[in-house]
Amino acid sequence: MGRRMLCLYFPSLAMDRLQREDPTRKLRPFAVTREIKGQPCIDAVNLPASGAGIRPGVRLADARTVLPELDATPDDPIANARVKQRFIEWCGRYSPLVADDGFGGIVLDILGCAHLFGGEAAMLQDIQTRIRRSGYRLRGAIAGTLGAAWALARYGKRVIVTAEQLHDALDPLPINALRLPERIISELRRLGITSIAALRGIPRQSLATRYGSEIILRLDQAFGHAEEPIAPYRPPSPYRALRTLAEPVGTVSAVQYVLLDLLKEICARLEREHDGARRLNLDCYRVDGTAAKCCIGTSKPVRSVTHLMRLFSEKLDSLDAGFGIETLVLSVPNYDEFDPEQISFPQFDPDQGDTELDGFIDRLGMRLGFQSVCRFHIQESLLPECSVEFQPVTTAGIPHAIWPDYRVRPVCFIDPPARIEVPAGSSDTPPAQFQFGHRLHRIVRAEGPERLTTEWWRDESQPWESRDYYRVEDDRGDRFWIFQERHPTRWYLRGHFP
Amino acid sequence: MPTLSQLQEQIDRLEGTQRRKLRTAPICDFIDKALPYNGLPLGCIHEVKSRDLASAIAFAALLSARIPATGSILYVAPDRSLYPPGLLPYGIRLEQWLHIFARQPDDLIWTVSEAIRCPQVNAVLAVMKKTDLALCRRLQLAAESSGATGFLLGNATSAPVASAITRWRISSVNGPAGRGFDEAFWELELSYCRGGRPGKWMVAWRNGRLEAFRFLSKVPIRPVRPNVFLPASAKAG
Repeated sequence: MGRRMLCLYFPSLAMDRLQREDPTRKLRPFAVTREIKGQPCIDAVNLPASGAGIRPGVRLADARTVLPELDATPDDPIANARVKQRFIEWCGRYSPLVADDGFGGIVLDILGCAHLFGGEAAMLQDIQTRIRRSGYRLRGAIAGTLGAAWALARYGKRVIVTAEQLHDALDPLPINALRLPERIISELRRLGITSIAALRGIPRQSLATRYGSEIILRLDQAFGHAEEPIAPYRPPSPYRALRTLAEPVGTVSAVQYVLLDLLKEICARLEREHDGARRLNLDCYRVDGTAAKCCIGTSKPVRSVTHLMRLFSEKLDSLDAGFGIETLVLSVPNYDEFDPEQISFPQFDPDQGDTELDGFIDRLGMRLGFQSVCRFHIQESLLPECSVEFQPVTTAGIPHAIWPDYRVRPVCFIDPPARIEVPAGSSDTPPAQFQFGHRLHRIVRAEGPERLTTEWWRDESQPWESRDYYRVEDDRGDRFWIFQERHPTRWYLRGHFP
Repeated sequence: MPTLSQLQEQIDRLEGTQRRKLRTAPICDFIDKALPYNGLPLGCIHEVKSRDLASAIAFAALLSARIPATGSILYVAPDRSLYPPGLLPYGIRLEQWLHIFARQPDDLIWTVSEAIRCPQVNAVLAVMKKTDLALCRRLQLAAESSGATGFLLGNATSAPVASAITRWRISSVNGPAGRGFDEAFWELELSYCRGGRPGKWMVAWRNGRLEAFRFLSKVPIRPVRPNVFLPASAKAG
C-alpha cells in the first residue's frame, strides 16, 4: 500500500514554551512542576537546574532544600495544547493530512508531498530547522507506518526508514516504543522482554491469551500488517490550491497576483464539476511560523474569477503580512451545485445582467455583514412591531402575508416608542394636544382608536395588555401615530405618516 | 436653423446631462408640463427634503415606482426606522426593494456610491446627513453612466446636496375635513431645477395618483367626535 508517515515529537514542550515566554529562565535554574498526590513534583528541568543535580520526579520542596534559588512554574496542559495546535495548523503547508497523534506529537501523511520539498530528508530537515528556530526541541522520523514513525521519533536512531529497512530499524527498540499501556510494559519488563525483537520471538497466540489483543494490534500496526487511519485536524477541502513562493512576499499586490492564479485554478475546477463556491478561505503562511487567514462568503454559488477577486481585494487591504508570506493555500469549505448556463446574446436576454447585482450584493455583505442587507417580509401579525421582518438576502424568500387596505400604517416607525406628554384627563379619547421634545402639537384631526392586544402565542413577555392606537394630525399638517397604554395611562409616539 | 440646433447639442455635450434625450418618469400632468424634461429625469441625483423625513420617503418611493424598468430599488439608511407597509398605498412593489443598513457614515457613503454605479439598480433612496460637493458630483457622474436615479432624502437639518438636478421641499398640509390617513396632502415646492424654473404646487395623493387640490381654509375645523374605528381582531378579543 506504500504509505509514508512523518511523526514529530516534542521532548520538552512545556519547558520550551515557558523558556520562550521568558528567555531569562534559560540562564537560571528553572523547573516545571506537576501536582502528584497534592504535592508539586518536578516534571522537567532546564540545563542549569540539572547541572545542580535536580532530577525530574522529586518533590519541589526536596529540590528547594538542595537548590533554594530554584524557580518553578506549574505545568499548563491547555497552553501546551494550544502550542501544539498552532504547529498542527502550520504543518498544513507540508501536507493536507495533519493530525494529533494522541500522545503529544504530530503526525503527517506525506505520501506524494515530499518531492515538493526536495525529498523526505530535505523535508524533515526543513520542518525541524523551522520549529527549532522558534525555540522548541523536536525529533522527527519518517517511516511506512504511523506506529513505526512514532517509535522512531521517540526511541530510534535512524530517522528515515524505508519499507525494506523497517524490521531492522524497529527490532532493537525498547518495547515502550509500541504505544502499549504502562501495565503491560512493566509486566513484560519483569519477564525480561525489553526489546521489540524479543517480543516478536514469542508466538502471537500466547501473547494474545496473556495480554489481550491490544499487543498484537500494536505490533501489526508498527509493521504495517494492520491499517491505522489518522484523523486529520481539518478535513481537507475538496477544492484546495496551494502556491509555495521562492521568496516571501509582503505586499498586497504580490499576494493578489498569487491569489489570481489560485482562483483561476479553483474556478476552472468548479466549472468542470458544476459547482459554485459559497465560502472561500485564504490561508497565508508567514515565515515566522504563524498563519494569517482571510475568508469571504457569497450570497449565491459563484465561480467567476473577477467577482471573487473583487471580494478578496476588499479584504486583502487589512491582511497582515508580518515578516513575509511564503505559502498561500486557497480552499473552498462551502460550495453548492451550480449548473452551467447557456451563454446568450445580451440583446435577446434581459436577465443577462443579473449577475452584476449579485456581485454588488456580495460586496455589500462582505463590508456590512449580510444581516445588514435585507429584503422586507410581511408577517401574519397585527402588532406593528411584529408584522415586518428584515430578512437577510441570503435566506430564501417566503411569500408575504396579505396586507389589507384598511390597516393604515406610518412610513417611519419609532421602536421602542417615545414617551409624549399629554394633558391629564384625556383618556379613551384622542388628546387635544401633545408635547414631544420642545414642541407642542395641537391636534386638529384624529382617527381611532384601533385597539391591538398582545398575541397569546408570543412568549416574549409583554407587560402591556392592549394599546389604543390613534392617527392624529396637528395644526401644521404633520401626521403622527400615537398610542395610549392603560394602568397606568401613558401616551407614546409610534411613527410618522407622510 | 441648423446652427442653433448645433449650438444646442454642443451645450448639451458640455453639460453632460443630454437633457433633451433624457429618460423620464411621469410625475403628474401639471408638474410634468412645468419641468423642462417633460417628467422627472432619470439617471441623475435628486434632493428630496421634508420636515420629518416620512413625506420625503413617500414622495421618493412613489417616484421610484414610476421608473419604467425592472431593476431593484435600494433604500440605504443608518437606522431601521422604515416601515414598508406604510409605503404600500404609494404603489411600491416590496419584492423590488432592498433595505441596506449602514450605521457608519463611511459605509453609508460607500454603499450609496457603489449602488448608483450598478446598472441593475433602478433607484437609490439614501438618508444622508452629511454630503459635500465632491461626493455629490461623483454620485451625479456615476448615475449618468449607469442610468440609476438617486434620491437623497433629508429632513430640515440635513446638509443641502450641491449638484442635484432637482430639489424638492415637501411640507405636509392640513387636508380637507373627512379625508383618511391613507391619503396625503402636500405643498410640493420645486426649489431648484436645472434648466427650468422653480415652482410650487398643492397636491394630494389619492387613489394611487397625484392630483391638484384647492386649499380651502387655513385651519380646518376639528371634528367633534373622532371616527371610531375598531378592527375585526379587537372585536373578537
